[in-house]
Amino acid sequence: MRIVIVGGGLAGTMAAKGLRELDPSAEIDVVGEEQYPYYPRPNLIEFLAGNIPYERLFAFPEGWNERQGIRIHSGETAVRIDPGTLEVETKKGRVLACDRILLASGSSARVLPLKGGDRKGVFVLKTLDDARAIIDYLKDHPRAAVLGGGLLGLEIARALVTRGALVTVFEYLNRLLPLQLDDQGAGLLKSRIESMGITVRLGASAEEILGNGGGVTGLRLKGGGEADADMVVMAAGIQPATGLARGAGLDVDRGVVVDDFLRTSRPGVYAAGDVAQHRKRIYGIIPASFEQARVAAANMLGREKKYEGTVPSNTLKIAGVFVTSVGGVNPESGDREVFVKRDPETGVYKKIVLRNGVLDGAIWMGTKKGAAEITRLASAGKDVGPWKKEILEDDFDFTTL
Amino acid sequence: MEKWECTACGYIYDPAVGDAENGVQPGTRFEDLPEGWVCPLCGVGKEFFQKVV
Repeated sequence: MRIVIVGGGLAGTMAAKGLRELDPSAEIDVVGEEQYPYYPRPNLIEFLAGNIPYERLFAFPEGWNERQGIRIHSGETAVRIDPGTLEVETKKGRVLACDRILLASGSSARVLPLKGGDRKGVFVLKTLDDARAIIDYLKDHPRAAVLGGGLLGLEIARALVTRGALVTVFEYLNRLLPLQLDDQGAGLLKSRIESMGITVRLGASAEEILGNGGGVTGLRLKGGGEADADMVVMAAGIQPATGLARGAGLDVDRGVVVDDFLRTSRPGVYAAGDVAQHRKRIYGIIPASFEQARVAAANMLGREKKYEGTVPSNTLKIAGVFVTSVGGVNPESGDREVFVKRDPETGVYKKIVLRNGVLDGAIWMGTKKGAAEITRLASAGKDVGPWKKEILEDDFDFTTL
Repeated sequence: MEKWECTACGYIYDPAVGDAENGVQPGTRFEDLPEGWVCPLCGVGKEFFQKVV
């Protein structure tokens, strides 16, 4: 059985490992765009911040793939796949024939179509090359504008300020983490972020990146107003890298459409990770990519395994603050009960949204205690009516439910 | 001994089990794992782990 995996990121690498575990004799080739050994993308933030050295980026000891008989062709982008003949062609003109193709091409950073966006000094953060370029540019260009106040934008801002940059985050909506938090929670997070020396501008959207021949000089904002900057990092979301799949005529929506066995619309071709769309969902999170990769590996070898989707892990640490958000946290209708507990000293903020006693949504900020339990209860739509006040207490015993 | 969870991929390090593939004996506390130890599943460093409460 010969398998070619397109993509050397998490999904591709974990699929290769999974395949080898299941079949000691399978021929496994990975073609990856990046020239580096496998590295987990979260490490890029710590590298950007200067918290880990270059050597610590890479996950596995040198030669790990050779020892497992997995061929990895780094810096060799796949340029074409043929679902009919089951072949993958790389940019070096190499054509790999196989029995199964796994598309694990991942996602790319969304580039905002701004005037001046092609100036020197405008970056996204997706790859190690991006991180190295940003670190290098920062040396003589300390005033950094981060476009986007979501998860990645805030983590980038934290990393840059740790490096000594002067950072301003521009978020076009009126609160940070607009999807995950409500106004109060977002306000607390904003204070925390500002106390780290990061300037936050809400309701602020860049219309144009200003500059001269030498690079960036600032931003022109929608509604008038300008801001000074020496460099810009766009953190406006990600999109699946579906080009190869489109070119091959596969069924593509926002991502490459797969069924419960990670099969695409053509037999023998599978997809997993950021590039894949399963039951209308695209994830962009490690646990989903990991699970999909493992299930795809099993299915490619004919060991039918069903993937039912991944429950998103809801607790994240943003700029040092634990943030858990599940369900509907900003109810619009009047038939919801909302209970809030806020402790300005500890910075803990908890909120539950009930619909007839059933837990519809929750925010848990500043603490991990009870976060997993409240997530489970909200996902299950549990009736917590009798405990609606006590559940917010730090010492609440969830086992009583 | 407490278990620790990788916040990136969900892998649980169980001290009672250790991590034989990477030379970690059963009974090794998380705090005593070697400096360069990474999540055996997804490869992120120790700083991404949190205690399982």
